[in-house]
Amino acid sequence: MVKESKQSQFNPYQNNGGTVAAVALGGRVAVGGDTRISVGYNIISRNYCKITQLTSKAVIASSGMVTDAQNLHKLLLARITLYKHQHGTEPSLKALSKLLSITLYSRRFFPFYTFNLLAGLNEEGQGAVYGYDAIGSFDELKYGVQGTGQELCMSVLDNQCKGANRTDDYTFTQDPVELIRDVFTSCAERDIYTGDAVTVWDITAEGIQQTSIPLRRD
Amino acid sequence: MFATKNEYDRGVNTFSPEGRLFQVEYALEAIKLGSTSIGITCQDGVVLAVERRVTSKLIEPSSIEKIFEIDSHVGCAMSGILADARTLVDHARAEAQNHRFTYLEEMLLQSIAQSVCDLSLNFGEGDGSQKKPMSRPYGVSLLIGGVDKNGPALFTTDPSGTLFKYKAKAIGSAAEGAQTMLQEEFKTDLSLEDGVKMALRILKQVMEEAITSQNVEVAVVSTQDKIFRRLTPSGVEEYLTSL
Repeated sequence: MVKESKQSQFNPYQNNGGTVAAVALGGRVAVGGDTRISVGYNIISRNYCKITQLTSKAVIASSGMVTDAQNLHKLLLARITLYKHQHGTEPSLKALSKLLSITLYSRRFFPFYTFNLLAGLNEEGQGAVYGYDAIGSFDELKYGVQGTGQELCMSVLDNQCKGANRTDDYTFTQDPVELIRDVFTSCAERDIYTGDAVTVWDITAEGIQQTSIPLRRD
Repeated sequence: MFATKNEYDRGVNTFSPEGRLFQVEYALEAIKLGSTSIGITCQDGVVLAVERRVTSKLIEPSSIEKIFEIDSHVGCAMSGILADARTLVDHARAEAQNHRFTYLEEMLLQSIAQSVCDLSLNFGEGDGSQKKPMSRPYGVSLLIGGVDKNGPALFTTDPSGTLFKYKAKAIGSAAEGAQTMLQEEFKTDLSLEDGVKMALRILKQVMEEAITSQNVEVAVVSTQDKIFRRLTPSGVEEYLTSL
């Protein structure tokens, strides 16, 4: 009789859930992230910040696997410190956008399980958002959202920021911080992986301001 | 000058008791044998000009190349051993392209010059952990000039890996005379046109042979488009007739 061989496959990946979003408007960009971390149906943390400040006018927000995101953020901070020492200035948002891309692509065959948004002010002082896939493909956007609540948020942002699916004559003038709060409040109603609180980082020429409001905790 | 060398000049990385590295000092001498190169920063760009020593009537003058493009916004003039310059320029080109690839932006001139200096002092045995370094110092000095986001800039490197930023600088055999003239004539509000004329005027005075469009090489980087451009012989001729 042939012995049946059982081999459980090593799976190094896990999705810890959560949503991050960013909206740029003129010389301003608002970046939000919920603070919930889940493993399956369990909530592991209710106050984990998915956003890291990279330079005086750029932040990164990541969803996906928390350990990979932490590692990626630390790696980027180290690369940015080196850049400052080598070139005497902070890297621009555009420079960071490519740095993040090649950092992700360098792990092409064992990727970081992270879905990132890079947001900040560019060299002209205009707000900008960059969206990424797990292996470094990226694009400059006016607004973006990543994570488990992506589908729920995106159509609302399309409608509010781009004026998609509207018949009236519409221009986007709403406070981006308010918009992100509303989007997250709605998202937390339907997505079980998004909740507890949303932290919004408001980036302007004056600096970065952080605020937090509570979301559903169930 | 080298009375107290006492064989301390044999090993490339051995200090003499007075604290000198003779091989590096000898390499600096090699530059003084090289042809003269001049770099001038102007208000709207940078000029690089070098003398070509055409030692035989049978040499094709255009084959003597002493100004190199490092990246589209940076050029480099050399004095000393040409083959050593090529090694350093190759390194600088790779660094500049690597920077463009990693950061989607042009590399700062200071950083390019610094990367050349890092390589300059990397000579000797090596520790076997990386690519075998150069066995001796590079016998070349570079004038790295161009325009980056901070405006026009000019840097010099030498075999000791020292880096300086200059408003105007001459290197090579007639450096002393040319530098004195630069000191007298340099103004901060020079235009690029005037810069080219000044460089050629000084070269004309310090060159042993009569200056022609064939035995000098001129390149400019203008702030207008930040593009490295070589002057054609006919372009040089125009400037020479107006001197």
